[in-house]
Amino acid sequence: MRQFFPVEDLARDERFVQTNMAERLADTRDPQESDSKRKSAKSRAASNRLTPDRPDASERARGLMHGIMVGEIQALEGAGRTAHDFEAGDGSGDTIPFELKLDMARQAWDEARHVEISAKLGDWMGTELGEFQENTVLFEAACSNDPVLRLAGVNRALEGLAIDVFTQMKEFGDLAGDPFLEFCEDWMLADEVTHVKMGSDWLRKVTEKDPDRRKKALEFQQVVDKLFSFGGSRSDHEDSSFTLARRFRELAGFTEDENETINQLGLDAFNERSEAVKQAQDAAVAFADA
Amino acid sequence: MATLVAGQVSVDPAEFAQVKFDAAEIAALVTALAERLGVSNTIELVVDETTPLTKITCSIEAASSDATIVIDAQSGAIENTKALTTLGPVQLNTSVGRMLLRARDRMRTDFADVGPDDDLSLAQTAAWDTYCAGRLARAGIDIIEQRWRYNHRNRLGFSDAADADFDRLWVAQDLAWSDVIAGITAT
Repeated sequence: MRQFFPVEDLARDERFVQTNMAERLADTRDPQESDSKRKSAKSRAASNRLTPDRPDASERARGLMHGIMVGEIQALEGAGRTAHDFEAGDGSGDTIPFELKLDMARQAWDEARHVEISAKLGDWMGTELGEFQENTVLFEAACSNDPVLRLAGVNRALEGLAIDVFTQMKEFGDLAGDPFLEFCEDWMLADEVTHVKMGSDWLRKVTEKDPDRRKKALEFQQVVDKLFSFGGSRSDHEDSSFTLARRFRELAGFTEDENETINQLGLDAFNERSEAVKQAQDAAVAFADA
Repeated sequence: MATLVAGQVSVDPAEFAQVKFDAAEIAALVTALAERLGVSNTIELVVDETTPLTKITCSIEAASSDATIVIDAQSGAIENTKALTTLGPVQLNTSVGRMLLRARDRMRTDFADVGPDDDLSLAQTAAWDTYCAGRLARAGIDIIEQRWRYNHRNRLGFSDAADADFDRLWVAQDLAWSDVIAGITAT
């Protein structure tokens, strides 16, 4: 079987249309509702968080659930690749311990279950498969030639993002009174905490005698974490769409310092994105006035 | 800012800078949709291209059968969800179609007391959306019933009573406003 699979070759049928972060960030519209609109009687949402009192709550929840489903597909593909792409060994070079392969296989099994659950939740919410664009950034983080970078990028950054998003969706389901959404997200969240913990543990173990490699892996994780903040959608800022699930992250092996670093990366990305959007909006006004 | 006028439909702006929308294509789609739904009024569609959010509202200039219909749409309301920043004919039919039916409802005397769209509660909006979406489906517009059932449940509750209310509204025709919102207090 082929090893090291590029993102362009992912198998999808004609229902799915893929995009990437470059295309997403080229969209210069402002996804945040402005303070003036938000606090007027015309808008009921208290912040940009996904809550049932938003006028567009159902649509945003459907879109996010579809994003979760394609993310689960890519997580399955990423874990499966890591189980297969590297030879069993002592963890040095291009090898990974056999027990790590077993953990990746277990994770692939979990992700396959999550794909099925997410697809059924999509049915429940009235969403068709492929109705929304698929952002392939998650799988791209799983394409590194170094297995330790994959642990950092996929298990800690990607699955860490899943912890944040699932916590948000679980709360949404709870507040809306949706019995299936709250229940399913809670169960999947438990798996994600385990996946992050596996990544944290293996990263420490494999790089125990190689501090440079560990340093590079953690730097790579920061790059991926910033990408996964989607222009600041994830941070403690009130205008971010979702926040860090710090308690669950701690259970998964993140230290408070690491959580704060991720939060700061999100805030930095938010500010950069806000400035870029402002420049684009100014240019659009100039275009309209011309 | 220039406005494109094509027959009974005007689109503002006439040219888009932040999305790849074509005002003439939008006007043609709205014209065809209005014809399909039997709406012959003048229609003014104002698109806010600065945001990808999906809010859409409508108003009529007077409570008469020949009133001008004004529709305010954030760009996400008529956007192709498979190719962001491009126009989505399916999304446009669903969003603008609901507004055209809503505007036509507003011309009825038994909707005279209904406040502006922005003043409606989330449950009232959801009930009216269900009533409109059901009629769009019967008019042959591509509508996913379960999407609207989920929206109805989010606003009126995940319960048998809310589902029964959805079923009632989905098949209904010629309702008064009091009929549209009858299920809200009941659920």
